[in-house]
Amino acid sequence: MDKVTIYSTPTCVYCKMAKEFFTKNNVAYEEFNVASDLKAREDMVNKSHQLGVPVIDIGGKVVVGFDQKTLEGLLGMK
Amino acid sequence: MYDLIIVGGGPGGVAAGVYAARKKIKTALITDSFGGQSLVSNGIENWIGTKIISGFDLAKSLEEHLRAQAGIDIIDGDLVAAVAKRDDGTFLVTTKNGKSLETKYILLTSGSRRKRLGVPGEDQFDGKGVVFCTTCDAPLFGGKTVAVVGGGNSALEGVEDLLQYASKIYLIVRTEVLRGDPVTQEKVKSHPNVEILWNTVIEEIHGGGEPQFVNGIKYKNVKTGEEKELSLDGVFVEIGLTPNSDFVKDLVQLNEVGHVVVDHKTQQTSAAGIWAAGDVSDVLYDQNNISVGDAIKATLNIYDKIKKS
Repeated sequence: MDKVTIYSTPTCVYCKMAKEFFTKNNVAYEEFNVASDLKAREDMVNKSHQLGVPVIDIGGKVVVGFDQKTLEGLLGMK
Repeated sequence: MYDLIIVGGGPGGVAAGVYAARKKIKTALITDSFGGQSLVSNGIENWIGTKIISGFDLAKSLEEHLRAQAGIDIIDGDLVAAVAKRDDGTFLVTTKNGKSLETKYILLTSGSRRKRLGVPGEDQFDGKGVVFCTTCDAPLFGGKTVAVVGGGNSALEGVEDLLQYASKIYLIVRTEVLRGDPVTQEKVKSHPNVEILWNTVIEEIHGGGEPQFVNGIKYKNVKTGEEKELSLDGVFVEIGLTPNSDFVKDLVQLNEVGHVVVDHKTQQTSAAGIWAAGDVSDVLYDQNNISVGDAIKATLNIYDKIKKS
């Protein structure tokens, strides 16, 4: 399965929803808190060319925001 | 053919869904997500029966309550795109994902969404310094200079969120008064890192660099007509809400700002077979608890109608 990375802030509810979606579907993910991790923030900006969270990287495909349909597509679900 | 389609999954829509299911009304509820606008709130302290609950937890508890009902079809992750009235008085509801559903009655609990500024640069720099979810993205502006636009509670709370991070906050207010809670107003007004620009509107948002991010704004004092430039890193838009009524604008009467006009005794709209409740309606107070009550009122009225027919 493709590696899944999420860039988030602790106050971001859409990040929580995305993580809950991964957990519910047994998708392992790595999380970076870009509120405190400046290196990760830079990576996130380089990948997504923007500064909003969440940013989700699924095997090199980058999604901004929590869009369940897109995630399901990229993860090969349904 | 459904008896009822409920549009929206905020507190109103869920309340209607629970009541409709318990009355055994053949119902579908269509929503992109649960919880409504409170979803992004850190703590809701006026949801009756609960001292404090986050918007996220409220959304989860609403969804769980709805899913516990037997006999209601829940279509989530989707949005209503269009509603058409047919010659026999029933409706055809189509969704963004291409579903078509037939129904006798419709309850609109589609709430509202954030208003945008409508100035050059706003779309271009959305996510690149222009922010529509302050609670989400405030932590990314540590040590930065930002502007918050608006004079109501959401703008003041946005400033409060940002005080932990940003080094300088301009609060851009179109009028001469703040409308939010007095306690928050005092905190914001007296904070040394906050400067309030009264009678001011943003005319343009600029950007630069590679990748391009916000680097400034042009603003105007609406009283004097004076225009100025300001260098900053972020623009947080908190200027209120606009109702999600576009998909029924040709079917029901809307007021001048787009709220669906209802009879407040029954929640019926100007169109036979369509009811509305909550923030999408012309209710005087946009409150979770009120949306719940009004949506239940609508559902009971719909049930009366079904019993009679």
